[in-house]
Amino acid sequence: MTFRIMMAMLVAGFVFVGTASAQCDSIAKICANNVTAKYISDGQSYRALLNGDEVAEFHATFYGGSTYRIAGCSGFTDGNLVFEIYDEDHNRLFASSDYKNTPYWDFEFGSTIDCTIEAKLNTINVGSGCATLVIGFK
Amino acid sequence: MIKSKYLNRWIGIGGVFALTAIGMVGCVSDVKKGDGADTQAADSSATKLMTIGGNLFSIPSPIQTAILIEKSGAQYNKEFLNDPKKVTTYATNFQKALNLGVYGADVGYVTIYDQSQDALKYLAVINKLSDELGITGAFDENTIKRFENNFGKRDSMLNLVSVAYRNADAFLKDNDRLNVGALVLAGGWIETLYFTTQLAAKSKDQNIINRIGEQKYTLNNIVKMLTPYYSQPEYDALVDELIELAYDFDAIDIQYTYEKPEVDIANKTTKIKSKTQVVITPEHLNAIAERVKTIRNKIVGQ
Repeated sequence: MTFRIMMAMLVAGFVFVGTASAQCDSIAKICANNVTAKYISDGQSYRALLNGDEVAEFHATFYGGSTYRIAGCSGFTDGNLVFEIYDEDHNRLFASSDYKNTPYWDFEFGSTIDCTIEAKLNTINVGSGCATLVIGFK
Repeated sequence: MIKSKYLNRWIGIGGVFALTAIGMVGCVSDVKKGDGADTQAADSSATKLMTIGGNLFSIPSPIQTAILIEKSGAQYNKEFLNDPKKVTTYATNFQKALNLGVYGADVGYVTIYDQSQDALKYLAVINKLSDELGITGAFDENTIKRFENNFGKRDSMLNLVSVAYRNADAFLKDNDRLNVGALVLAGGWIETLYFTTQLAAKSKDQNIINRIGEQKYTLNNIVKMLTPYYSQPEYDALVDELIELAYDFDAIDIQYTYEKPEVDIANKTTKIKSKTQVVITPEHLNAIAERVKTIRNKIVGQ
């Protein structure tokens, strides 16, 4: 009996992870629409499954002389993800919450800077979900 | 399990991160509680979640540095690149993944210089390597056809390649193959650094030299990405070499000055005005160039 329960939990776990993965893929595709053809993809996929007030940290280097578009999404509607960008001294450079949880924003970097992007769910709208970032440059 | 004298440095720097990651067999996590509590060990179900979102380091696209090289006025130089014919010599998944990254950087470089026929040769070997690595839905005949249809439209061609690499990255993360994804990124980064250092030795272009110095940030992230796999065959030697390279990069001084960003709400744009200044001597540049050449030539088999 115990074995059966364990097997059922294992199968449920795989199904959950498979569903979560498919959910992340769908969200990433929608999110990528915010990074228009004017921007070249940085070639990476950033995603993290979050619960409640968990925060995902993405470490990134942005080159001087480039303009970046950063799009952040969770779920299938805008405004479900809040993202903030900090420099190496943890000065806050940007917070999407200052702009009605905008799903994307552009950044012109004069110098190369090492940054941390913190992403969390807008818990008013969603309790858990896949946080996705898409980065493009020009 | 941890046998390298070099790794001690990274245990010091990466601390709990590296050890936790090794313990979790690659399930690297940078997800923390919103109340500011320390990163915590995840329970078994959460561990699986972390695997999906595990790789939270961004490695700058090789294409950006290739664009900088082209803008510097440097001539197209095929000698910087890995020969597509060597693709048949890569036997292990470790070699294949690294060289998938190397060829990705090369296809970016040749595309920027409008060498479309060369680009097709690179796309063919990228297709072959991704097939052999079991990466589906990223590089296929359709990608090559779309690339051909966009001949002459440089940005469209670059974007097609970049999106294909992003799809490959997503596929590897979805399938718990973060180690392969990390190797692809590392291979692309090393190849770009290789042709940048080779060029800097000849041109002395200050923008190119600065870009080399700025790789100090990215190298730290690459080592952190690969460290969880240190106990696996082949990874240890690469990580040790990258850590040796990080010691060379320690000599580079990067001074950072914060300035308040400027916001243009109407255009949804923020101008980041903070500044960094890279200080690098010719001796350190030469040391880095030599080390990079050795690592890169081992990867491509020269």
